[in-house]
Amino acid sequence: MGIHKVEPSDAELVRRVRAGDTGAYGALVSRYRDRLGRYAVHMIGDREDAEEALQDSFVRAYRSLARCDDPARFGAWLYGILVNRCRTTGARAARRRRMFVRDAQALDVAAHADQADRLDWTDAVDRALARLAPDYREAFLLKHVDDLEYEEIAELTGAGVSALKMRVKRAREQLQKYLREAEHV
Amino acid sequence: MFEREDETVERVIQHLRRPVAIDRGLDARVMREIAQVPPEGRRVRPLWPLVAAAAVVATVLVARPWNRNAASQADTLQFVLVAPQAASVALVGDFNDWDPARSPMQTAHGGGIWATVVRLAPGRYRYAFLVNGVEWRADPNAPAAKDDEFGTPSSVITVGGRGGGS
Repeated sequence: MGIHKVEPSDAELVRRVRAGDTGAYGALVSRYRDRLGRYAVHMIGDREDAEEALQDSFVRAYRSLARCDDPARFGAWLYGILVNRCRTTGARAARRRRMFVRDAQALDVAAHADQADRLDWTDAVDRALARLAPDYREAFLLKHVDDLEYEEIAELTGAGVSALKMRVKRAREQLQKYLREAEHV
Repeated sequence: MFEREDETVERVIQHLRRPVAIDRGLDARVMREIAQVPPEGRRVRPLWPLVAAAAVVATVLVARPWNRNAASQADTLQFVLVAPQAASVALVGDFNDWDPARSPMQTAHGGGIWATVVRLAPGRYRYAFLVNGVEWRADPNAPAAKDDEFGTPSSVITVGGRGGGS
């Protein structure tokens, strides 16, 4: 009941952008910022690098909007750009530093003793995730955190479905192993 | 044992699914940056839809340096595409922001041979041919870009600072 705001579809927003309404792109950025940002932060492991990759992906997508064949699936297309951008950034970041840099906000939690367990868990998960091979981490995040179907992940990554299933399986096994090790440190 | 391990992974998944705060200033930065350059869609004017595209026979004849400026180490490269049925062809790539207006190809040689010359500094570039303003074609005689992020075919050219050109 009442008046409900109907959000324009991706296809409609893309149509407006192509017609010259730059502001419509702001709605797309706002729509996908947090979800894609979460993927980038977990995939790259450093908030600053992740936000840079995310910003660059949005700009690249805008400049190449003519290459988005199916505007209704703008989100999937944008995801593909970000996945590739994260691969590049992640490889560069890995060369720059060996250790996974934990989210700086988590450090603030350390001041609160009652949240020590949470910090330990956050720290352990971040470190375990960082130890995964990038293609394992990528498949695990897309499958279990972003909740994509294997066929969708295959389209984004260029990997086959069976290979992706294997990567996710290995990622789960390795996460268990790394977290078990962390428990005994 | 297995149940406990599954619980651990499920706990990890739930932890990772929590929202991650992304700087709201990112929106403004994106909008500022895109204000500098309009999207390709507003630059591309597909005058001839796919009518002729199906009949295009695309073959790259030459992709090599023909002149070199030793001072800058940039190479001048001629890209050639045979596309007898095409009404227009443009070279697009990283080096021109995928802007077809910046490297339109000419049919100076006749017979549907389209050519353009670009000057590239040493580096690795992705590129493609835009036929009739709508059809993206990779260079059949060059390595395919494995990391194409836009879902359309493209090729790779590596321009050397010294020695080999492409």
